Amino acid sequence: MYTLTQVNKHYVKGRTTVAAVTNLDLHIADGEWLAVQGRTGAGKSTLLQLLGALDRPTSGTVMFGDQDLGQLSEAELTRVRAASIGFVFQTFNLIPTLSAAENVETALAPLEMATSERRSRAAAALQSVGLTDRARHLPSELSGGQQQRVGIARALVKQPRVLLADEPTGNLDEDTRDDIVELLEQLWIERGLTLVLITHDTSLADRAQRVATMREGNLAVRAGGGRTD
Amino acid sequence: MSEHDNTIAGLDDVLSNEQESPSTTPSPTTRRLRYRSPAMFATYLRRELRRRLRQAILVAAGLAAGIGLVVTVIAASDGVQQAQGRVLHSLYGIGTDITVTKAPGTPTQKGSGFDEGSDPQHVDVLSIGYVDLLDASSVDSIARLKGVAAAAGGLTLTDTKLTVPSAAQVGANGEPPRSAFPTTFTVDGVDLDHLGLGPFANATISSGSTFRHKDATANVAIVDSNYAAAHKLRVGSAIIAAKTEFHVIGLVDQTGAGAANVYIPLRRAQALSQYAGSKNLDGKVNVIYVSATNADNIAAVKAEIAKLAPTATVSTASSLASQVSGSLASAASLANDLGKWLAIAVLIAAFVLASLLTLSAVSRRVREFGTLKAMGWRSRRIVAQVMGESLVTGVLGAVIGVGLGFGGARIIDLVAPHLTATVAQNPGSAPPQNISINGGGLHKEVAPGSLHTVAIVLHAPVTLSAVALAVLLALAGALIAGGLGGWRAGRMRPAASLASVG
Repeated sequence: MYTLTQVNKHYVKGRTTVAAVTNLDLHIADGEWLAVQGRTGAGKSTLLQLLGALDRPTSGTVMFGDQDLGQLSEAELTRVRAASIGFVFQTFNLIPTLSAAENVETALAPLEMATSERRSRAAAALQSVGLTDRARHLPSELSGGQQQRVGIARALVKQPRVLLADEPTGNLDEDTRDDIVELLEQLWIERGLTLVLITHDTSLADRAQRVATMREGNLAVRAGGGRTD
Repeated sequence: MSEHDNTIAGLDDVLSNEQESPSTTPSPTTRRLRYRSPAMFATYLRRELRRRLRQAILVAAGLAAGIGLVVTVIAASDGVQQAQGRVLHSLYGIGTDITVTKAPGTPTQKGSGFDEGSDPQHVDVLSIGYVDLLDASSVDSIARLKGVAAAAGGLTLTDTKLTVPSAAQVGANGEPPRSAFPTTFTVDGVDLDHLGLGPFANATISSGSTFRHKDATANVAIVDSNYAAAHKLRVGSAIIAAKTEFHVIGLVDQTGAGAANVYIPLRRAQALSQYAGSKNLDGKVNVIYVSATNADNIAAVKAEIAKLAPTATVSTASSLASQVSGSLASAASLANDLGKWLAIAVLIAAFVLASLLTLSAVSRRVREFGTLKAMGWRSRRIVAQVMGESLVTGVLGAVIGVGLGFGGARIIDLVAPHLTATVAQNPGSAPPQNISINGGGLHKEVAPGSLHTVAIVLHAPVTLSAVALAVLLALAGALIAGGLGGWRAGRMRPAASLASVG
């Protein structure tokens, strides 16, 4: 799915250049669950942005299938994100003025699709995360766990190949965290998704097939406890 | 990811091209995705405006205030222009767009003098004021100009009757007897082929009949009804002018400042009037009334006439406006100066307010837009969303503003005092004519060349073009604000948008 070769990503802040990712090599197989850990500022989010076609590397190549994301135009990157990549955010990032169903629909808005079809797919996505009865509720009327379920439904409604989750349980209590983790794991298994999950939670990371730990912009990868069949 | 799950019914069709490709080589860019979700656009826009209702109302109110002022000022300005037009029309008739007169050269004599003889002399003369004469052929030349609908000549005259006292009647100090003071009335020679031009166009027949073509050489007169009442005249009466008896065929009601007491056929006026030693004024006129084919042609026609008759004074409503004094002139400068700049200032303030508030709103929505971009929303879609929100606010401001404008115009109609305009009755004339006897003591000012004060009711009309301009301005303001906000939102990189919120 992903092949990263000698990837560097530098940010310029004033007169200082910060190396967020340094000479990184990584292969993520199709359908793999990779957990990424590391201290704050270790480059986890930068890695996620590179994998999510949100940013281009300063040097090196980020191959997504046969596409070199570093060489694509902004419009092409947008199309990659619209069609193939789902995001789950730590802070849920739901649109506060839209209902749960409408939030899910926003992921389908860039796709050529009739309104009725978009609505039925959003309803089905909410059903798959157990929120049918909350479809018309605004985010402010939902609990944190329910909001994250909406976020997951939004990420998956377009049936992406890849799900990128940035601390998806970081803002949840322990019980809710377990529910969300089980849901993600179930969806990963059912749909054959490639799942890249950033987390500080080692118990959660250990449920992945592999665990990559970022240190000073580079990676050390070990096997996780997740199923490999 | 060799097989896609079908839990979400029918979703596979959406990205069918990807399913056809090997799972390890996704090719999302092989298919160009098009956006088609007006319902979502409308829902998102409506909800966002509802969330920022107070801000939307503030922006709309700001735009509405500016637009309302613009509509009101335009209405007031149009009202002043119409009032100025009415001043001209009151002098020269409704159908007249342009008048042509000729200022006199340096007078070689002071007025008309009479020497007292041994017997009293009874004088009755039709004379013109201190304006020079124009050849009647000029009327035809002007009528042939491009953009001229019609042209008519006229003679504005004064009939003066007085008894020049005998030498014995003049007192020791040269003081004449009371009977020596003249009586006058104003007479207009009317071109019977163009009754719709000139002051006679303002007259409405109240009894009797109007002129007919066959009256061109007849001694017939139409008399102002007020003048007739004061002098006990009616249809069928006789009135003497230049020692000639005219048969009154009609009475007219009229209100214009340019109204004459008596109207007679132009050819009779030319035959009976005198000027600077001429026994008559055949082939002469002292004013030409011109109507243009349409209002847009007036300036061009004026320029053509000025070329044709370089020594003539060519007046239009707009040129007359500069000669108008009184409260109408004050209202004009109020509308054109203070009103215009006030409206511009409020509009600019409204535009700046709308822009700042929109930029501020966009700044608060960094995460929202970043999330949408991460999900594949193109920048132009986000720009359109921001612009759409601004445009709706602008339309709201325009609607309220036009309503305020109508209200403002109505208030002007209700509270505006009656204005007065003071203007020379004949803009081409010199100061009032004097008649004197032996250059001493006896003076009587007569109408031609004098100043007239016209009462004007100011009406502020809201025109369709003013409304259209107001709506365009509101939309322009909204587009500027939305454009700035959209530009800012569109420039956000999705990664930066997400990173900025931690």
